[in-house]
Amino acid sequence: MIVVPCPNCGPRNSGDLRNCGELVPRPDPSAASLIEWREYLYMRKNPADWVTETWYCRGGCRRYFTIERNTATNEIRGQEAS
Amino acid sequence: MSIRKEHGNVSETTFNSPVDIGPLSAPDGSVTVADAASTTKVQVRGGADTGAAAELGVGYGRSQRRADGALVCGTRPDEWTIYAGAGQASAITAALSEVFGHFQGEPGEGFVTVIDITHGRAMLRISGSNATAALNKICNLDLSDELTPDGAVFSASVGNVGCDLVRDDEGGQTSFLIGCERSFGKFLFIAVADACTEFGLSVPHGWELHGH
Ligand SMILES: [Zn+2]
Repeated sequence: MIVVPCPNCGPRNSGDLRNCGELVPRPDPSAASLIEWREYLYMRKNPADWVTETWYCRGGCRRYFTIERNTATNEIRGQEAS
Repeated sequence: MSIRKEHGNVSETTFNSPVDIGPLSAPDGSVTVADAASTTKVQVRGGADTGAAAELGVGYGRSQRRADGALVCGTRPDEWTIYAGAGQASAITAALSEVFGHFQGEPGEGFVTVIDITHGRAMLRISGSNATAALNKICNLDLSDELTPDGAVFSASVGNVGCDLVRDDEGGQTSFLIGCERSFGKFLFIAVADACTEFGLSVPHGWELHGH
């Protein structure tokens, strides 16, 4: 079990939340090339290190927030509402 | 703010609960599970800085009992639920719409909605000295008095069903109101009753979730 801190609900069991994956900046839809869209939609770095990711508080406040999580140790830091 | 005053066409139809069994109690009275699906449930959505929010008077995670007996709960950020006795949905939605209507046009008021969700939700009440212990078996949250005192409002999975909960003690006795989507209502009731069997509560034949 991972305990994930929601900015609204406090520490929650990760089973009550949904991991939405690495935060990837969205390109400008009117200017992005097909390759840029493909990278935005499908390509992830997936490092064994710190990643900034989005979580959805499915079982609680139903809001999205971002945290930094170390994928090797599951340490968590820098949580904020998004 | 825009409030559509159409409550006149919402009829107060007879409520049929998805749970067709009376309260179940342990012989020593330490835990009771009772259907409460007919509870009037009115949902309000609006910004936290609106006049409507100030009128409701509770923030996310807290509840307050009004003088008329209705329980106003801060269910989520920018979302409230008002619980009251059966058959009061029309009166409550009309009264709220009337009051919120006075804030219409004020800067920052935004869009506020008042919706009767009584028929879309099931609800039960679990009470008694063993209620917390029973609920802890099927809910991820820490339900201790320190973190979940009387009046606390929270959402969590109960028996794998997404639920809105209120700690609403009655006569000094620990008590929780648990609401979920109506179609999960009977399963939730069975799951909660099953969690209470350890404390002496008997479930009807056919309700056993595990081989005993
Ligand atoms: Zn949350």
